[in-house]
Amino acid sequence: MKRDEIPPGTLYLLILKALSLHGPLHGYEMANFIQQSSEDILQVEEGSLYPALQRMLLKGWVKAEWGVTAGNRRARYYRLTPAGRKQLTVELSQFERVFGAIQRITQIA
Amino acid sequence: MFLNEVRRRLRMLFQGSRFQQELDEEMRTHRELREQEYLDRGRTPEAARREANRTFGNPATLQEKSYQSWGWSWLASLLQDVRYGVRSMFRSPALTIVALLSLALGIGANTAIFSFIDTLMLRSLPVKDPAQLMFFGREGESGITGDIASTTLYSYPFFREMQKRNSVFTDVAALLSMLDTIHGTIEGQDAMQPMLVQLVSGSYFPTLGVQAIQGRALTEADDTTEGDHPVVVVSYAWWKRALASDPAVLNRKLILGTTKFDIVGVAPPEFFGTSVGEEPDMWVPLSMMRAVPPMWDGYKKNFWDGMYLIGRLKPGVSPEQATSNVNLLFQQIIRSFPDADLSERNLGYLRRAHVGLTPMSKGLSSLRRRFSDPLRVLMGITALVLLIACANIANLLLARSTARARELAVRQALGAGRLRIVRQLLTESLVLALTGGLLGVGLARIADRLLLRMISGGPDLVPLNVSINTHLLVFTFAVTVTTAILFGIIPAFRSTRLELTEALKEGRASSSRGSSRSRIGKVLIVSQIALSLVLMVGAVLFIRTLINLNNIDTGFNREGVLRLDIDSNVTGLKSDDPRMIAMFQEIEQRVSALPAVKAASFASFLFNQGSWNTSIRVVGQNLNDQVNIKHNVVGNDYLATMQIPLLAGRNFSPQDTATSHKVAIISERMAKDLFPSGINPIGQHYYAGRDSLPETQIEVIGIAKDVKFGSLQEPPQYIDYMPNPQHPWGYGTLAVRYTGDFDAISHSVQQAIHSVNPRLPISHIGTLDEQVSRTLTYHRIIAQLSAFFGLLAVFLSCIGIYGLMSYMVGKRTSEIGIRIAIGASRASVRWLVLREIALLTAIGIAIGIPVTLGASRIVAAMLFGLHGADTASLLASVAALLAVALLAAYLPARRAASVDPVIALRYE
Repeated sequence: MKRDEIPPGTLYLLILKALSLHGPLHGYEMANFIQQSSEDILQVEEGSLYPALQRMLLKGWVKAEWGVTAGNRRARYYRLTPAGRKQLTVELSQFERVFGAIQRITQIA
Repeated sequence: MFLNEVRRRLRMLFQGSRFQQELDEEMRTHRELREQEYLDRGRTPEAARREANRTFGNPATLQEKSYQSWGWSWLASLLQDVRYGVRSMFRSPALTIVALLSLALGIGANTAIFSFIDTLMLRSLPVKDPAQLMFFGREGESGITGDIASTTLYSYPFFREMQKRNSVFTDVAALLSMLDTIHGTIEGQDAMQPMLVQLVSGSYFPTLGVQAIQGRALTEADDTTEGDHPVVVVSYAWWKRALASDPAVLNRKLILGTTKFDIVGVAPPEFFGTSVGEEPDMWVPLSMMRAVPPMWDGYKKNFWDGMYLIGRLKPGVSPEQATSNVNLLFQQIIRSFPDADLSERNLGYLRRAHVGLTPMSKGLSSLRRRFSDPLRVLMGITALVLLIACANIANLLLARSTARARELAVRQALGAGRLRIVRQLLTESLVLALTGGLLGVGLARIADRLLLRMISGGPDLVPLNVSINTHLLVFTFAVTVTTAILFGIIPAFRSTRLELTEALKEGRASSSRGSSRSRIGKVLIVSQIALSLVLMVGAVLFIRTLINLNNIDTGFNREGVLRLDIDSNVTGLKSDDPRMIAMFQEIEQRVSALPAVKAASFASFLFNQGSWNTSIRVVGQNLNDQVNIKHNVVGNDYLATMQIPLLAGRNFSPQDTATSHKVAIISERMAKDLFPSGINPIGQHYYAGRDSLPETQIEVIGIAKDVKFGSLQEPPQYIDYMPNPQHPWGYGTLAVRYTGDFDAISHSVQQAIHSVNPRLPISHIGTLDEQVSRTLTYHRIIAQLSAFFGLLAVFLSCIGIYGLMSYMVGKRTSEIGIRIAIGASRASVRWLVLREIALLTAIGIAIGIPVTLGASRIVAAMLFGLHGADTASLLASVAALLAVALLAAYLPARRAASVDPVIALRYE
């Protein structure tokens, strides 16, 4: 099974979307969610979630809290903030605009 | 939003290790969960771990990326560079010491000179809105004048009229143009002490907007009626010094003259009055003028012009508007005084008079007028020295970068970016410069004290606040960073531009690189030599100026004379009181009678003590009001004491009394220029003053040789000497010609004075020679400092030459070995090296000469007996520079000549 790299710049969008659908998640769950929801087509280099999450923490889009997993492990859960929710709509509309443009170009032929 | 982000970033900076740990933990958890998942799917533990790691990516890189996103990586790499810089400083201690020393001297000197420029020329008065303050007239005059059209000195009634009638100032203040040291007593203490008392109008403090920090400042209410406001505001420094900061200062009293004054306030610590470099101990309202020695009685006189006026512009009024209003009123007020002498002549003066308003946001300062030029020149000199130091350090760094070429090459080969390495090298330079700058600030503090002592020119320090302040630190920091860039940038770029393979090869540095490196080195040496020449010639010129000035014939014998001041005001007598006149004569007699004293005399002016001048009218001639005569009221033995030769006529005698007809001895130049030629001036008469008043008629009884009166540089002056009984002067300066030990004489002279009146305060005991040479303070400072910096520049250049030559000899060892092997003599090898430096020095000198000639034109006004750089000074400097350059190159040359060809060639 071949997996595709996610397009650059969409990682924020995926994380934000994941959090908005599922509420607080830790990194491992996020990676799983992205893989499963894309029916295993999108492949995130799992570790790259973390620098992205750090940047999002800085921007105030997400908040992090330590919690305990179902398997009773300590893990850091990320939660969407109001700013993050706003950012999600921004990222979505941006994605749609770009995606729509690319689609129009590729359909010309 | 943005602020929140900054706050989060800062939290990450300060709790960095916690964030790191948390990140680490969460990434580990992630991998372990993934591993578990694979295990559960039935992989072997080995494969599960490998797969988990693979899908996760490189944790080290990821952590690095996360860390970078916090935005502090630059700080970390800076710290790393600084650490590296410090370590590399310790790695080559000799270079570091030389570099730090020259930087500390260069930066220290610049800081010290700048601190004076800052204090004297840049800093604003510590008062409210100093930019609104305007000074009436032009700085530079002080005293009392009867000139009807005086545009700098004004009378008190004039001030009051101006204050009342002007429409351009929020307020106008007056202060006496003379700051007198008087001897007063603090109530409850016995000893009199000197106090600097400034008389000011009641509007002085309100106009400046200065509040007292204890009690109150003076107000208009203190200056309403003459004589009944015995109040004084003391300076913070005096309060601290004389009253030990007594908290009950407002209950203390002072006795000045015969009047008891209440201390009503203490001025704020930063307030020193309106004149930079003068610091009154206290301020007394002008209404008390007649109570404060020397008890002037000008409060109500319309033409007793001895005040400075200061106005504060109303908001929105331009200086031009103010000037036209002031000049209109000037004419009106003076003409409206009932006692105004509106003769045709005076009206002519009035018509020509124009009051210029001078902005005084930086305060008045005679020091500034005297020292602006030398300070500017010194700033130039120290800047050049710093440049030379920079060139030197650049050269040393270049030499070291050759040694480090392999290290840098390895780092570049491993992938370090060139800019990253340049940045690191510059950081190293910065570390070096900042350390040097820090040492320099320390040095500047010492230099400041030294300079202050030099500027003061005597035992009493000029009250100038030249302590280190933020102004100064900003300046020093800017200088330091600039130097770091200056000396660091070339070596940094040069040493990172390399052909890796060449540099990585074993053996001495590649020849192509080496030669370009020594080309820069040579350019640096040449410019150092050129700059050194400029500084050396400058030093020679200033030293010769000082020598020329010192060799000027003063006309009197400046050796062997003790001088001191007494304060005769404490007697409470008027100067024309016969008892006062008798007291002076008695002191002269008793002192003259001392063994080892040849003669003694009071004088109103010995040398450079100001002047009292008027026009004169020689009987039978027209008045030339452009000519001013300097009058010197003296004791009978003055000429003998000063050893001024009497060329014709007779000396004063006891027969010249207050009631006998008035006599004078005139200077040679006055006799020659102002009396009709062909007629012996002796026996002729003249009037002292513009008008032919009978009581001012004086007979010439003698002609004395010309002397210097105000300064050493002045042309021969018109001077007349008048006996004290006929022109009573409440004077204080006593000159004593003596032989033998100064201290013993000083002691017995003081005893003799106190035997006449034990209450007379005696001060400023010294020699006439000191008094004369004090007027050369300005030239002495320039000469000494320019000599010091000239030597420093040459010394630095020598280090540079030595370094460069050692480096080049080291590089050419094998070539020299071959030369010796095929028969070159040691002498010719030595010459080979010396020739190189001789050539560089010659080029440097050739470039330096036109620069020197140009620079010497700038300082021409500060020279005496010289017109810019002359051939002798130039030749001497060139010869000296060549000699030391060759000396510096001699050691490396000798080393070159002692190369053993076998060893040199085997090495290759």
